[in-house]
Amino acid sequence: MKIDTVLHSDYTVVSIAGEIDMYSSPALRDMLLTLVKKNTATVIVNLKEVRYIDSSGIATFVEALKKMLAYKGKLKMAQVPDRLMEIFNFSKLDKVFEIYGSIEDAANS
Amino acid sequence: MAIGTNPIVITIPSHPRYLSVVRAAAHLAAEICGMGTSGAEDIKHAVDEACSNVIKYAYKCDITRTITIKFEDTLKGFQVTIEDSGCKANIDDIKIRELDEVRPGGLGIHFIKKAFNTVVFDKKKRNGNRLILTRYRNTDEAAISKQK
Repeated sequence: MKIDTVLHSDYTVVSIAGEIDMYSSPALRDMLLTLVKKNTATVIVNLKEVRYIDSSGIATFVEALKKMLAYKGKLKMAQVPDRLMEIFNFSKLDKVFEIYGSIEDAANS
Repeated sequence: MAIGTNPIVITIPSHPRYLSVVRAAAHLAAEICGMGTSGAEDIKHAVDEACSNVIKYAYKCDITRTITIKFEDTLKGFQVTIEDSGCKANIDDIKIRELDEVRPGGLGIHFIKKAFNTVVFDKKKRNGNRLILTRYRNTDEAAISKQK
């Protein structure tokens, strides 16, 4: 798994590529919690290049979302591939996360 | 792999870095056994979650142990057997959350039950655990969900 973070004036884009599983999710957790510690107002997670996510990856996003909501921060998902969307739907996380078709849509919402 | 032929058996170290090997093998074996593209994806996910549970609960994150996974085409359907030599699993100890409840963790079992018609711990195994997962032939996702 590869993670790229780009800081913008109003939001931060976290682009992930590869597979998010029990092996890689701790690195993702560390990165997201670093942004949480800085009280980052809006984080947009670009999932376009993610081929797989397991329950530990989902748990990582849920944990980050809960921590961000505590300071009224926003965690948005963008460009979610179909297979991941199926998993989000099954887990009912489509009702929990704000999901957008593009990073621009997520940034402008 | 045809019905009744020798199963595919792989043994991996109990380190999370090898879960990608299990996923690749599970997906290919399921496709060869005619589980379809969507079925193979669900099976891959379920087997990954089951092996993650072995590392977390049976081995308590000890990465020096092994997990053996057997893929088999049987008369019943596609069968996956996952064996470890760790602590006895108590299904009640494994965190499960309602899908409506939003909190980290507890989703793995849902993914396993989504992919397989039966999820059984073999009580005859004395040391460690033997989890037997079976997806019936010609059952679709909707049929599995209906049974739950």
